Amino acid sequence: MSYSTQLRFVAGALLALAAPVAARAAGDLNLFGWSEYVPQTVIDGFTKATGIKVNFETYSSNEELISKLVAGGGRYDLVQPSDYAAEVMIRQKLLAPLDKTKLANLKNLSADFTGRPHDPAGAFTVPYMAGSVGIVVNTEKVKVPVTSYREVFQAQFQNRIVVLNDNREIVSWALKSLGLPINTITADSLAKARPVVANWVKLVKVFDSDSPKTALLNGDVDLGIVWSGEAAILWNQHKKFRYVIPAEGAHQFIDVLAIPANAKNKAAAHQFINYILRPEVSKLISAAFPYTNPNAEARKLLRADELANPASYPKEGKLETFRDIGRMASDIDRLVTDLKSAK
Amino acid sequence: MLLWLLAFVVVPSAILFVYSFCERDELGRVVFSFTWENYQRVFDPIYLRIFVRSIGYAALTTAICIVAGFPVAYFIGRAGEAWRNRLLLLVMVPFWTSFLIRTYAWITILKQEGLLNAVLQSLPFGLGPWDLLYTPTAVVIGLVYAYLPFMILPIYGSVEKLDGALIEAAHDLGAGPLRVFPAVILPLTLPGIAAGTLLVFVPAIAMFAITDLMGGARVPLIGNVIQNQFLQARDWPFGAALGVVFMALFAATYWALLRFRAREDSIG
Amino acid sequence: MPSTAAPRLRPPSGLRLLQFGLGGWTALVLLFFYLPIVVLVAYSFNASRLNVVWEGFTFEWYRSVWANGPLLQAARNSLVIACATTVLAVVLGTLGAWLLHRYRFRAGRSIETLAAIPMVMPEILMGISLLVFFATISLPLGFGTVIIGHVTFSFPFVLIAVQARLRGLDPALEEAALDLGATPAQAFWLVTIPCLRPAIVAGALMAFTLSWDELIVTFFTADAASATLPLRVFGMAKVGLNPTLNALSAIFVVATAALVAFAAYVRRLNR
Repeated sequence: MSYSTQLRFVAGALLALAAPVAARAAGDLNLFGWSEYVPQTVIDGFTKATGIKVNFETYSSNEELISKLVAGGGRYDLVQPSDYAAEVMIRQKLLAPLDKTKLANLKNLSADFTGRPHDPAGAFTVPYMAGSVGIVVNTEKVKVPVTSYREVFQAQFQNRIVVLNDNREIVSWALKSLGLPINTITADSLAKARPVVANWVKLVKVFDSDSPKTALLNGDVDLGIVWSGEAAILWNQHKKFRYVIPAEGAHQFIDVLAIPANAKNKAAAHQFINYILRPEVSKLISAAFPYTNPNAEARKLLRADELANPASYPKEGKLETFRDIGRMASDIDRLVTDLKSAK
Repeated sequence: MLLWLLAFVVVPSAILFVYSFCERDELGRVVFSFTWENYQRVFDPIYLRIFVRSIGYAALTTAICIVAGFPVAYFIGRAGEAWRNRLLLLVMVPFWTSFLIRTYAWITILKQEGLLNAVLQSLPFGLGPWDLLYTPTAVVIGLVYAYLPFMILPIYGSVEKLDGALIEAAHDLGAGPLRVFPAVILPLTLPGIAAGTLLVFVPAIAMFAITDLMGGARVPLIGNVIQNQFLQARDWPFGAALGVVFMALFAATYWALLRFRAREDSIG
Repeated sequence: MPSTAAPRLRPPSGLRLLQFGLGGWTALVLLFFYLPIVVLVAYSFNASRLNVVWEGFTFEWYRSVWANGPLLQAARNSLVIACATTVLAVVLGTLGAWLLHRYRFRAGRSIETLAAIPMVMPEILMGISLLVFFATISLPLGFGTVIIGHVTFSFPFVLIAVQARLRGLDPALEEAALDLGATPAQAFWLVTIPCLRPAIVAGALMAFTLSWDELIVTFFTADAASATLPLRVFGMAKVGLNPTLNALSAIFVVATAALVAFAAYVRRLNR
């Protein structure tokens, strides 16, 4: 077998590989969203109502979405970032402005979730679902009240704590407990947060952003700071898992729908957003994922027990969304990495 | 093969190399202006410590894999012909289930109220409960589980080639198994062991998912740090620089080993 | 056939014990391998949605596998990608190992080092750099790009396994074939390849396994239509991993076992 035969083989193989790259029908909607966040029933319903086929591609964090878009991957008609990620995408001109005349159902949204700092005029984004990051306590194991970050991170709970494996989250809790702002981070505020985070990191048993509920359900930990959706699932599983918004205030996130600037099928994207905003459709999303539904009309259709879930619809508490902190993310990462590996 | 290497290894590596000298914007994207800053940061003691720890984990995993894997590979390699491929498949099939599902099964086994502790406590020796999950021990169990097949398979390749008559001859000459192993079997299967070591040790250094899931992400390894630069810190250039240093170190070591081996071959 | 045909004498009785010990150890290691598999199959019958606590027996998850169109589609995609990857990785890896062995290139050592690089390249770096490269040459993402990515990180495994077997392989065999009038291609196909078969099989198994379970490189190189099973599975983990995935894994294990048994049966019939 000569060298040139081998070359020819490789070239042939490459051509063969390129062939099955199917050309998509022009009318399809290419949706890039959080894995499983859009229920299959909703997608099927949309296709049935409009005849538009949906190609649903998934990611599992805002940063995955941004990296793939920024590296030049894929052409999408609709993306589903969280507030702060949408903010930087707007600033970087990666999103196209919405045509509100095509979004008649916008009126269904609750005013609490529109006009927020990431997109004050609502020109680029439409809220999809919202949630918060708060304290969840297994009340069968922890008998004392735990209502603030400082009360979670106590020596008596050493190795009984699960928190999100997200460095910005951890640092923002420390900043909140110090009464410092979480959205204007400086070298000075990080220096103040450092000893607090150093103490906390030593107490934690599990860092998990994907499924922090697992360690709680398994009984490997007794309390933690997790996504409200996870806490809502825990509450549905057993009422011993109590969710509290920390006294110092909590991070609220609003996941939105937005159209990338280079989208090919903006018309279908608008149709999809408008479809999602229908109360009876939005209700299905709430049923599948117990986050906070920003659609006021849809909330009227929810069952009493869904609305009574303290993790989905917390009664009180100070909530604040993240703003994009740009390059400071790297300093935060370095800080937490350093403290974690110092153990 | 050369063409493939050029297109899909050299070109991407070159892209990373260029990135590693760049600055970044607020999205973590590279901005093409030259800087040494990323490399200065790589040699910060924080990252060196993490690197050394990663190598430690990988070395321990490799050692356990050799000890645990060699007898298995030997047994399969010396088994009857009909059995060999079946046993090989038997080794691989567990790994055709999803990594995540398998890991969750391990969590079910190792957790405090899990199967292992239930078994331990039902025994009369007063053992347990052991606090295994989310500890370095759990990480090593996860690593050995994930990489053991990659040790068994190459060693199998060498064992299968062993000439049975050679071992017979050694036995006929009065050598017991304790002498045959170091004198005959080990030297002849060394290429397989070396290949297995490479296939286990090297990927194990850069591994990240097992530390997250079974170690509770408490102690970051180099794979986690690199991953974070792209998926948390938005610092592509620094991630690229870490990667470039890591790959360069590997390449230099590997090249030197090859050279050493070639010299040995020509002498021996 | 050189070595496989070597006479396999009955071991002297003193060695029986050793043989027994080896067999016992192998059984133990296999137990270690299958322990989580048994657990995950057991949990595929768990009535609880959350795959964590045992709540009772059900077949529901097997029904929901068939109802989950995207999941089945992803499993099919994974199978196609893993098979294509295996074939290409075996061809590239075996040819590469043989070329490096047969012709002592001046740059041989550097090429060998280069070929080993993808093994050590962190997945995220490979994923992003390949994506940047594909975007630059405007190659649309799809099955082709995913397979390219997978072949790139898996063929070194084949190459190294085959190389280990080539080392110490008697070069006289191939020369003898050439002396007897075989063309180089014939010598390669009829003499070298059969000698390398066990290493090729081992390499193929590794390539398939690596491709089947890869997540990060796939994320950056796939489009919606070529999303693989691991992408789906990790996505489902976010919102609660339910036993549907255990059921799918169980089906896969049973199907593989059935296939192997069937192949053995056919072979026996042919004998």
